[in-house]
Amino acid sequence: MITGNHAAATAAVLAGRANRSGRGFCSGVYPITPSTECMEFLCLQDIEKGHVVKVESEHSAMAVCIGASVSGARSFTTTAGNGLIYMAENVMVAAFLRLPVVMVVGNRAVGPPWNIWTDHSDSLALRDSGWIQIYCGNNQEVFDAVLIAFRIAEDHRVLMPVMVCQEGFVLSHTMALTEIADQTQVDQFLPQLNLPHRLAQTPRVVGSFTSSRMIEAHREQHHNAMRMAWDVYTEAQTDFEKTFDRRPPDPVVTYRTEDAELVLVSMGTIAETVNRVVDNLRDRGLRIGSVRVTMFRPFPFDALKKAFTGISRIAVIDRDISLGFGGVLWGEVRSLAQPGMVVQNYVSGLGGGDVRPEHVEQMVKDALERKTTGPSIFVGVGE
Amino acid sequence: MNTKAKDTEGSENRGVSGCDLKSVLSKIKLPLEIRIHGRGGQGGVTCAKLCALVYSRLGLFAQTFGDYGMERAGAPIRAYTRIDGNPIKNRNKIYTPGHLLILDPSLLESGALVGAPHGSMVLLNTPDRLSSFHGFCEEFRFAIVNATQIARKHGIGASSVVIVNTAFVGAYARVVSLPIEMVRETYSSLGLLNDFAAAQEAYDAVNIREAITPVRFPDEAPDSVPGSPVEVIPLTELTQDMPTPLKTGSWRTQAPKYVTLTPPCNYACPAGNDVVGFIQKFHNFGLEASSEILLATQPLPSVCGRVCPAPCMESCNRALYDGAVNIRGLERWIGDHASNYPIPVKASANPKTVAIIGGGPAGISAAYFLARAGHKVDILDNQAKLGGVLRNGIPAYRLPEDVLDRDLERLEALGVSHRPHELITPLRLKQIALEYHAVIVATGQAESIIPRLAGVDLPGVEQGLTFLNRVKSKGRENIRGTVAVIGGGNTALDCAGTTLRCGADKVVIVYRRGQTEMPAIKEEIRDILVEGVELVLCRQPVRIIGDKAVTGLEVAEVELGDPDESGRKRPLVTNNLSVISCDHVLIAVGQTANRGILPSDWVVTKQRVYAGEEPTNVWLAGDFSAAEGTVAHAIGSGRKIAMDVMNCLSDSTESCVGNSSSIPELVSADNINLFCFPRREILEDIHLDVSTRTHSFEEVNLGILSGEESRRCLSCGNCAHCDACLIYCPEGIITRSGQDYLINLDYCKGCGICVYECPRHAMEMSLKS
Repeated sequence: MITGNHAAATAAVLAGRANRSGRGFCSGVYPITPSTECMEFLCLQDIEKGHVVKVESEHSAMAVCIGASVSGARSFTTTAGNGLIYMAENVMVAAFLRLPVVMVVGNRAVGPPWNIWTDHSDSLALRDSGWIQIYCGNNQEVFDAVLIAFRIAEDHRVLMPVMVCQEGFVLSHTMALTEIADQTQVDQFLPQLNLPHRLAQTPRVVGSFTSSRMIEAHREQHHNAMRMAWDVYTEAQTDFEKTFDRRPPDPVVTYRTEDAELVLVSMGTIAETVNRVVDNLRDRGLRIGSVRVTMFRPFPFDALKKAFTGISRIAVIDRDISLGFGGVLWGEVRSLAQPGMVVQNYVSGLGGGDVRPEHVEQMVKDALERKTTGPSIFVGVGE
Repeated sequence: MNTKAKDTEGSENRGVSGCDLKSVLSKIKLPLEIRIHGRGGQGGVTCAKLCALVYSRLGLFAQTFGDYGMERAGAPIRAYTRIDGNPIKNRNKIYTPGHLLILDPSLLESGALVGAPHGSMVLLNTPDRLSSFHGFCEEFRFAIVNATQIARKHGIGASSVVIVNTAFVGAYARVVSLPIEMVRETYSSLGLLNDFAAAQEAYDAVNIREAITPVRFPDEAPDSVPGSPVEVIPLTELTQDMPTPLKTGSWRTQAPKYVTLTPPCNYACPAGNDVVGFIQKFHNFGLEASSEILLATQPLPSVCGRVCPAPCMESCNRALYDGAVNIRGLERWIGDHASNYPIPVKASANPKTVAIIGGGPAGISAAYFLARAGHKVDILDNQAKLGGVLRNGIPAYRLPEDVLDRDLERLEALGVSHRPHELITPLRLKQIALEYHAVIVATGQAESIIPRLAGVDLPGVEQGLTFLNRVKSKGRENIRGTVAVIGGGNTALDCAGTTLRCGADKVVIVYRRGQTEMPAIKEEIRDILVEGVELVLCRQPVRIIGDKAVTGLEVAEVELGDPDESGRKRPLVTNNLSVISCDHVLIAVGQTANRGILPSDWVVTKQRVYAGEEPTNVWLAGDFSAAEGTVAHAIGSGRKIAMDVMNCLSDSTESCVGNSSSIPELVSADNINLFCFPRREILEDIHLDVSTRTHSFEEVNLGILSGEESRRCLSCGNCAHCDACLIYCPEGIITRSGQDYLINLDYCKGCGICVYECPRHAMEMSLKS
């Protein structure tokens, strides 16, 4: 029985130790609720060839990770909310230097007004930062995602950082039975990190000045590498299953979408609530299903297209809001809409608001009744 | 900037300061595209803007913009200006310029000419002559001007970065037949009139060559950016440093260089020691390597490391910062601890025989350097053992005999032979001069000065040196009562210290001036006071009182007047008399050379003996010729005369006058970045406890406990390989090369940061020739 934070930290330590034959492990950390426990757990571990550096800010924490990673160490950190926003500049640097850093974000509302509880607006603000983003649905997924994150981040076809998102408190502070791997298994799953462009004896500059044409080329490479991540993830899933005897979730997880008229699309733990509602309403004869997006970047176009086959109505539940537009997930999903489809957005659960089954039923009722897509609807506001 | 200048009001007919605008306008082929190539810092973008502003005064539409490279001084930049009679809508870069303005000739290599159609105009900033461009750019109307020189002459920009744009625009005006008046008015409207003289000079100085090869127009304009195509390397495959190639070419006007300047300690050393050299060698390469440097100039390091007044330490640049480096202590440490390795003797192609008269420090020094050079040297001395004043005059508690003997072992190993008990007379000297190729007389100041003082013949009155010599050779004597020592030099102090050790109840030193005027070594004065000797200052002895033996010394009070030639205050004796009662008086008021040993027909000029007009083979060295009074001076003099002798004996045509007397450029404390050096306490000499030392002749000063003190040496004016230049170079173009550094001047901007950051002034900027 461990919390999401401890699951994440345990996985990071196992991954760190697995690189002991290489250049070890190094992590820059700075505390912030709800990720503090993860960072504290990390600090208490004795990691062979490992070093956890406590710094004065999130920005510096990522700077440590960048330095560690570029010199060939496996690197990990954790933060949340405004901490992530403060870290943002170096978050981008890590990505554009193509460094396989893994970061667990304990999703937290961005203040002010200050609020320590969950929503996805912090990690989604860094949607375009060049990181792979995985949104977890339960504690086990958090543990597994950290391991698989290192695997895909370090794959030479990908080589970029991965953000593992767990909802603050809902996962970070919730204890659940979690299967922990042993070191031998992790050693097998995560071979020694071999960063092709790591700094060695000869001093040199990484990421120095480049021309406009060159930066276009590098962005194109990054984009193409991002698109490779789906294949690499699939391979890693298979290998993970072989090693640990369980399979991490697909980039898109569908639930009872067969013959559905309406599907509800969501990320994170809300999907579990949605699944309960689907069971209930299916009993009452409604043809509805649930789709959970676990990998938000790279965005799983093909898997979603497949999930939407034969479906005429989509309800997208966003635990975030792009102000002046609507839900971020909705924006992405809408790009897949066929002509005549209703793709309605519901914003709910910001700042830790509890998304309850009755809220989801309300959304289902609306989505089934409406003739056209309307503006985003806030559900449960003020309750 | 996309503008039509309003101040001309579009009045094409209005003359600008007498220029006929219509005829000017009629010569301009519109639309006109101008491309400027320069380097960050030269003012290329402003150059483009100035061109646009000049044209806009004709009522034309102009557009001008910069195409910046990386934000670094010296980086290649381009700038563009379009001129047209109608509003300009094209916002692309300029690929087919009608006019090309190139501010730095090195940019020609990087494709500055790409895209320019045949028949275009190319204006180049270069120091070269037009004739050197034979066969080059012949398809263009080609013009050159040395705008850098003109701008520097007019003081535009900084000495390191000359801003050439305003001068260059003057040259441009001439090439395209724009009246220089329009340039003046443009500069006037911008507050740039100070630069106009440079523009006028460039206008007059430009050299133009019309296109030589037939002009052809390309069928189609190139559609690529000028410059070589960029090779795309995936970021993740970048495993080598890619320094941005940024040749600075003629844009750089000055360059750093490494220099070796004379540190003040080296200059101050009378023996000519390479102080920084041996200390840095010790610090970096250890004892033996350091000893080799030291022994190259210093035959007696253990002796000098004990008895030298160390003028080097007075001049040390660290003195006012956190205390002078204990150089004397280091010399002693190295002298005492390095192995007495056999000094390599250079086999002389033409070995000579040299006789040296006198076995004191000057004679020893001369013998040492002559023997090292492969000559056969005999030292003739009237004593049983070598050393002169070192052996007879300096008490054992300051200079133990075994220390002297150890230093002298090297002399013996060099094959110098010692002929003791030689009595030198003028006749004997003449004989010796015939027997040897050369003779050096270095008998020092053997004669003590006897002051004209009533009572000097009384029992109990003695010459200080006689007393010291006797105690040194025969051992401790018993002395009771009070001793008065007359004098203020080291001999006086030695007499005082020795009598104290012989049991004297009280010892006073009587000196006619103040303590600061005492010629003795400061530390020795401090030591003797600690031991209990009293100073009676500003007292002139006038009479020694006593009947059968000394009972007292009558002294007159002295007032100090204006400084004399030596800088010391002149003593003015008054009538205020008093008596110091005492049982012994030791006189130590100085010595003089016994010139009586020289034959009367020998004339001495500049330390060389002449017989009439003809120079002889006899030289004088040390205190015998110039009373400088310290061991270090005697060593320096011995070496200098040895070099003179060797120059004259060899067949070389070098002047026999020897060393040049010009003062080298010294590195002062102001030249040192002292903040680079953490304050560090001096490693002081260790002294025997006062209570034990006054009862024995054991050495008082035990020296320093380790060679750690070498860390405090700033290495003034001498590169210490600290990497500061390499670290601070913003271009990263300084690299290590063995023991030294290399500056890649192709990429150096001449910013001077390395020179500024050098902690020890071992770098300087020089103007590029």
